[in-house]
Amino acid sequence: MDPLILTQGLNVLFAVTLLVIIVLGLAVVFGWLGVMNLAHGEFIMLGAYAAVFTNQHGLPFILAVPLAMLVCGTVGWLVERILIRPLYARPFDLLLATWGLGILIREVVEAFYGGGFHNVPVPVAGAVDVLGASYPAYRLLIIALAAPLIGLMLWWYLKSSTGARVKAMVGNPELAQAVGIQTDVLARNTFIFGSLLAGLAGVVIAPLMSANPYMGLDFVITAFFAIIVGGLGSVLGLFVGSGIIGGLDSVVSAILNRTTAYLLVLAIAVFFLWLRPRGIFSRV
Amino acid sequence: MKKFTSTLIKPTRRQFLTSTAGALALASAPAIIRPAKAADNFKIGLFAALTGPASLFGPTQKACAELAVDQVNAAGGINDKKVELIVVDGGVSPADAAKTGIRLMLNEQVDFVVGSHDSAVRQALVAAFKGKLPYVYTPIYEGNECAPHTYVIADTPPQQLDLALPWLAQHSGMDTVYMIGNDYVWPQVLNKYAKGMIAKLGGKVVGEEYMPLGAPNKFEEVVTRIKAANPKLVFVTLVGGDNVNFNRTFAAFGADKITRLSSLLEENTLLGIGKENANNLYGAMSYYANIETPRNAAFKQAYAAKFGAKAPNLSLLGEDCYAGVKFTAAVANKAGSANTAAVAKAALNLTFEAPGGQWTMRANRHVDKDMHLADATGGSFKVIKSVANMASGQTCT
Repeated sequence: MDPLILTQGLNVLFAVTLLVIIVLGLAVVFGWLGVMNLAHGEFIMLGAYAAVFTNQHGLPFILAVPLAMLVCGTVGWLVERILIRPLYARPFDLLLATWGLGILIREVVEAFYGGGFHNVPVPVAGAVDVLGASYPAYRLLIIALAAPLIGLMLWWYLKSSTGARVKAMVGNPELAQAVGIQTDVLARNTFIFGSLLAGLAGVVIAPLMSANPYMGLDFVITAFFAIIVGGLGSVLGLFVGSGIIGGLDSVVSAILNRTTAYLLVLAIAVFFLWLRPRGIFSRV
Repeated sequence: MKKFTSTLIKPTRRQFLTSTAGALALASAPAIIRPAKAADNFKIGLFAALTGPASLFGPTQKACAELAVDQVNAAGGINDKKVELIVVDGGVSPADAAKTGIRLMLNEQVDFVVGSHDSAVRQALVAAFKGKLPYVYTPIYEGNECAPHTYVIADTPPQQLDLALPWLAQHSGMDTVYMIGNDYVWPQVLNKYAKGMIAKLGGKVVGEEYMPLGAPNKFEEVVTRIKAANPKLVFVTLVGGDNVNFNRTFAAFGADKITRLSSLLEENTLLGIGKENANNLYGAMSYYANIETPRNAAFKQAYAAKFGAKAPNLSLLGEDCYAGVKFTAAVANKAGSANTAAVAKAALNLTFEAPGGQWTMRANRHVDKDMHLADATGGSFKVIKSVANMASGQTCT
């Protein structure tokens, strides 16, 4: 196969994979809890700065993962207790509150690290030959690892008892409470889980694009597009939404140019918000 | 007797009301009517990037300007007056900037305005000031600002490209050039000028792409396209985070054997790109923090002495504010006042010092300046060629 087409094909696969990784945490929190967390991008940014921290202290890159989980998990726990829990029944106020939270996190990180860029070297440098096309090793690794990890998460959700409890809570909270499911504990843990996923995404992304306090804003926009298109509360929706948005963006960027691709992505998001706000696969 | 006493000791109600009203009116009158209190200060209004997309540079812009003000005051001030710096936010919308500009002009009654901000804000300020006071525009830009009483000390496309392109043509060849930039006026003007030069140097433009400014851009697809086209040179007019991400992606795909010229490559962007991703990456500007001249060494020493270990990183966007204040001092001292006509006369062929070199203001209200071509390989700038007194190439009358 023509190496150019093969490389662009891998680019499309990478674009979709990256978008799934970014959206995962928000899909959990928005889809299952109905919390429109506008600070989701800042949780990703915190994960990225965990990688900056380990790099600055000469620690191996892999240690950024537990560090990011620790930081984001703690922040997620605090945020859920103080900010989210009192506002579950007031979605618009919650939206404003998470927007404010995002600003707060940005300012705190900027106070510690400054507003500039922080380089995190790619942990696996160089390129790998894939059927005649040369592709960056780190990006290939992301594609290769994302699939089994996400598959694991899916299997857990579909097969485990906690997964069943979450489905119950999402489907009918009052009835779930009536059968003894502790929905407030479950909700808290779900929010923390979403924060952990965001932190993990941040660690993965940091070597790709250099950390800076404002990087979160870009992620939250694209993530919302994917969720709008794919649908709320549905795992299939997450993949379909990321596939459509990420895939379309990448394919049109490869064939034409980025401006046209972005225009199409925006057009699709507007179309869905206008005509089908619940997305393609909606359970809520 | 009774009548006389009553007039003196007990004024009529009408007299009492008129005098009290007069006193109140005077006390609350805006500054324009009241005699200006601090008429003995020479006021410079500085528009710095305190908020907004360039807010990363706000601290160093403010710091460099404050350093320049200190030095000017130590040398006697401007026309025997102490210089006072009033810092306002240039990172706001053009409409808000215009309001601030009018406030500076009418309320604070500044003598000069120095601005380091984008072109949209500049155009709003030019419209707001209407040439009533001298306005110094400092940051590297696309050229074509010809408003009267607007003095531009910024790097222009001819200055950057007349230096960089001929050298790169010799060094890496210019047979084929790929252009990638953000979609707004500065990259488009740079590309237009570059195309003329590339044709003269016998080269061909094989691609020209624009990425939306402010969108969450990814570069895998365009890097793959550029790698397949395999040009001799990539002219990168991306800015900020896009410039960082593009170069990181470029190196990740192993394409960094291809020479790249970046139009806005300063110290902070290079930090983001990372030393392992900066091979064959070049920039051409009027200032780099590690230029080795006595002038720059003195500047850096004074900067470090004033701000200590926590000093904001030095770069072109910061040094330009220092130069703006120094120009103001030079031209106002020569003119003897801040009167726009006197300043216009004094500015002609005025030479003044900036850390990057010696600059001369010309009749087109732009400066001839020393320009430096730098190689960013290894993550720090190494100046490989400097040309003195490069003309700005602007045709303003």
